[in-house]
Amino acid sequence: MGTRTADMMRFWRTHASRLITLFLLLPALAGFFGLFFYPMLLTVILSFRPEGQAIGWTLENYTRFLADPDGRWVILLTFILSLGGTALSVLLSVPLALILREKVRGHRFYRLMVLVPLVVPGLIGALGLLLFWGTRGWFNLFLLQFVPFVQRPVAVNYTMHGLIMFYVWLYFPYTCITTLSSLESLDRSIEEAGEVSGATRWQVLRHIVLPLITPGILAGSVLTFMAAFGAFSVPLIAGGNYRPLAVEIYKQISVPIPARWSAASAIAIVMGVLQVIFLSLYMRFVRRAGGTGGPS
Amino acid sequence: MTDVTIEFRDVSKRYGTLVANDHLSLAIRKGELMTLLGPSGCGKTTALRCLTGYIRPDEGRIFIDGQDVTDVPTHQRELGMVFQNFALFPHMTVQDNVGFPLMIRNLSKAERAQRVAQALRLVRLEGYESHYPRQLSGGQQQRVGLARALVYRPKVLLLDEPLSNLDAKLREEMRFEIKEVVTRLEITAVYVTHDQAEALALSDRVAIMNRGRLEQVGTPEEIYEHPQSRFVAEFIGLSNFLEGYVQAVDGDTMVVSVGGLQMRIPVLAEAGPGQRVLLFLRPNEVELLRPDDPGGANVFDARVEKVTYLGDTLDYRLTFGQGLTLRVQSDAQRRFGQGAPVRLRFPRVRCWAITGN
Ligand SMILES: Nc1ncnc2c1ncn2[C@@H]1O[C@H](COP(=O)(O)OP(=O)(O)O)[C@@H](O)[C@H]1O
Ligand SMILES: [Mg+2]
Repeated sequence: MGTRTADMMRFWRTHASRLITLFLLLPALAGFFGLFFYPMLLTVILSFRPEGQAIGWTLENYTRFLADPDGRWVILLTFILSLGGTALSVLLSVPLALILREKVRGHRFYRLMVLVPLVVPGLIGALGLLLFWGTRGWFNLFLLQFVPFVQRPVAVNYTMHGLIMFYVWLYFPYTCITTLSSLESLDRSIEEAGEVSGATRWQVLRHIVLPLITPGILAGSVLTFMAAFGAFSVPLIAGGNYRPLAVEIYKQISVPIPARWSAASAIAIVMGVLQVIFLSLYMRFVRRAGGTGGPS
Repeated sequence: MTDVTIEFRDVSKRYGTLVANDHLSLAIRKGELMTLLGPSGCGKTTALRCLTGYIRPDEGRIFIDGQDVTDVPTHQRELGMVFQNFALFPHMTVQDNVGFPLMIRNLSKAERAQRVAQALRLVRLEGYESHYPRQLSGGQQQRVGLARALVYRPKVLLLDEPLSNLDAKLREEMRFEIKEVVTRLEITAVYVTHDQAEALALSDRVAIMNRGRLEQVGTPEEIYEHPQSRFVAEFIGLSNFLEGYVQAVDGDTMVVSVGGLQMRIPVLAEAGPGQRVLLFLRPNEVELLRPDDPGGANVFDARVEKVTYLGDTLDYRLTFGQGLTLRVQSDAQRRFGQGAPVRLRFPRVRCWAITGN
C-alpha cells in the first residue's frame, strides 16, 4: 500500500509539468472541438440525412448531385476555373518575378503593388474589376477610343475567360511571391558561372534558373490553386452563369424555400474530398519535381 | 606585344560615387599566372567581371588575344572561371556540371563524356561523376569547379579567391594543385586573392591593388624586396615604419635622424639633406643582441615592452630612442624577459627608405 502511494508520488513528480499543461490546455481543446470539429461533423451528418429531416440515413443527396449533368458540370467548371487561373498565374508570375528581382528603380513600389490583391478584400476587388472591364468601363472606353477596327465593346464580365482573368488578378500574388523568394535565394554567381561557361541568358534561364526555382513555383501555385478552388465572392458577383462549387453550395441554401441544407452539405463534402484528393496528388507531383535535384 | 594575352587599357568602373576600378591598366602575358592581390573591397572581383563581361566598364577597353572584347557578350569570350563559393549547379551531378559548357557548345554525347572524364582525371576526381555537389567536401567541390572551367580549353582561366572557403590545411594543398594544373596546361591565368602568402607562392607576377587602383606590378621577389609604397610594404607582410629625415649624405650612405638616433643607410638617389623619409624594417630582419655586446653602426639600446611566445619564434614589442616602438620576431634560442634591456642591430642592407607615402 505504501509503495503504491510512493509510486503515485513519483509519477506525479516526474510528470507534473506535463499534467498541468494538459489541464491548462483543456479549454483550448474544448474550443477546438466545439468550433472546428463539431461543425464539420454536423455537415457530414447532415449530408447523409434526407432533406429537411432530423433522422434517417440516405445517399440520395450525393447521388442526385453527382448523377445530374449540371452537377458534374459544376465540378468540371470549378477545376477549369481554378486550374486555368493557376496556370496563367504561373505564366504571369515567373517573368514578373524575374523582373522584380532586378533592383530596378522603384522596385520596392512594384513589390508592394503585387501584394495589393492580397490586401484588398475580394469583394471590393471583384466590384472594381467589374467596373473596369464592363462594357462602359475604362478598358472598353480605351479600346473604342484609341484602337482602330474595334466597333463594339469587348465582353469580359460574366464570361469564362473574364472570370479566369479575375481569378488570376486575385490569386496570382501567392505564386508570384513564392517564385520571387526562391529566385532571391538563388546564388547569382551560379548564373555568372553559366554565362562564363558559354551559355546565353536564355540558356542560363532554361538550364539553371528554371529548374532551380520549379519547386518554389509549384509550392506557390498550390496556394493559388487552393484559393481559386474555394473562391466564392468573385464568381458570385462576377461569374454570371458560371457557378463553381462554392457558389452552388450557397445557391442551395439561399434560393429554395425552405433551404436545402442537406443538399448543400453533400456538395460541400464533395468539394472538400475533391480538394484533398487533388492536393495530395499535386503535392506528390511537387515533391517529385522538387526531387530532380537528386537525393537530399 | 604579341605575347600579351589580356590587356586592361585604362579601365574604370564606378558604383555611384564609389570608384571600384580606377583607371586600371595591366597587360598579362601568354601562359603567365598573374595575381590580383589586395584587401577585400579593393575592386579585384570588379576587375575580373570587366574581363568576363559580366559587367561593362564605364571607361577603357579590354583586350583578349589582341581583340577588343569590351562589347563582346560574356558567353562568347571563351573564358573559364572558378568562384570563391564554387558556384556549382546544385541540381546537376558532377558529370553534368563539368559537361555543361560542352552541352552548351553542342558537343556529341560521346565526345562530352570523354572530355569530362579527362577533366575529372586532371583534378583527381574520377569516380565522383554521379555525385551531387552537396555530397562533396569543399575541396572536392572546388575541384569540380576547376574541371568545369577547364573542360572546354578556354583561352584564359580566371580564379576569384578559389581557396578562401577552404580550411587552412587544404588551402595550402590546393594552392600547389592549382599551380601544377595551370603550369601543365600552359594556360594564361588570372588569380584573385587577398592572401599575400598565396600570391607570393603561386604567381609569376603579382599586381597589388588598393582602392580600385594598381599600386605595384612585379614578380613576387620584386614586390617583396622592393615595395614601392607603404601600402605594398604593409600589405605584403608585418612591417615596422619609422619616420625621420636625412641629416647628411656621405658617399653611398646617408645619415638619417630617427627619434633622436642616427642611422646610416644606403643613399637614396632622390634624397638630399632635409628630405623626410620612411624607414622600413621587417620584424624578422632585426638582430637582437645582449646589452653588453659591442656597439657600432646602427646598434641601439632598447627595452622589451612585451613578449609573446609563438612556438618557434618570439614576438617582441620594443621601445627605443625617443618614443620609437618596434616589433621584432626572433628565434626562441636567445630569450629576453619583459622589461629587459637589449641591443638592436639593423643590418644596413635591410633598411629601405620610402619617400612619399
Ligand atoms: N553591384 C555593386 N553595387 C554597388 N557596389 C558594388 C557592387 N559590386 C561591388 N561593389 C563595391 O565595389 C567595391 C569593389 O568590390 P569588389 O570588386 O567585389 O572587391 P573585391 O573583390 O576586391 O573584394 C566594393 O566597395 C564593393 O562594395
Ligand atoms: Mg571579391
